[in-house]
Amino acid sequence: MLALRRRARGASRLSALRELYRNFLCGDDPETRGLRLLREWLSPLQRDQFDTFGYFEVTGCHSGIRYRIHSGRSANIEQLDDTGRPHVGWCFVPSGYLVQGDIMLAQKIALETSERAALAIANRFPPSSTIAPRAHRRF
Amino acid sequence: MATHIVMDHSGDSRHRFDPRDADAVAEAERRFRQLTGAGFTAAVRTAAGESRRIDTFDPTAEETLFFPRLIGG
Repeated sequence: MLALRRRARGASRLSALRELYRNFLCGDDPETRGLRLLREWLSPLQRDQFDTFGYFEVTGCHSGIRYRIHSGRSANIEQLDDTGRPHVGWCFVPSGYLVQGDIMLAQKIALETSERAALAIANRFPPSSTIAPRAHRRF
Repeated sequence: MATHIVMDHSGDSRHRFDPRDADAVAEAERRFRQLTGAGFTAAVRTAAGESRRIDTFDPTAEETLFFPRLIGG
C-alpha cells in the first residue's frame, strides 16, 4: 500500500514537472516570454547559475567588478567584494512596465556594456539589507 | 531573416525583416531610429551570453534587442 502511494506521488511530481516544462516551451504569457528571452541571452554559466540559485553573476565592463542579479523587479542587484560577498546593493530598472525577465536582461546588458552610465543613475542601498532569496521558477 | 526584439509589457514584440529587401531594411532602420531616439538602448549578441550596445543601425545583425531608458529604482 505504501509502495503504491509512493509510486503515485512520484508519478504526480513527474506529471507536474512535465507540465511546467511544457508551459515553458509552449507558454506565451508575458512572464514566460520574458524568462525565455532572458535565458536565451545568458551565457551557459549564467544560465546554470540562474537555474540553480535564482540569480546569475555579471562582470562590469569598466571596473571588472562582479555583480549578482537576483530574480526580482527592483533592488535586486548586489555588488560583490573580492571574496564574493555582497558589498553594496544597486537598484536601476528600465522605465515603464516590463516583466521580470526583461528587467533582469536589461540590467545584465547595462552592467556588461555601460556599467558607469548604469551606476550613475542607480540608487545605492547598504549591504546590510542583504537580498533575501526569492521564489524562482525553475525550468 | 533579421529580428528586432522590443521589450514591452507583453514580454516583447518581434519585428522580422529580410536584410536583402531594401524596403524592409529601410523600415527597420526607421524603427531603429525611432526607438533609440525615444531613449531605448539597442544591443546585439556577439557570442553566447555576450552582447554589445550599438548606436547605429546594423542590418546584418541577426537579432537586435531594444530596452527602455534606465532609471534609478
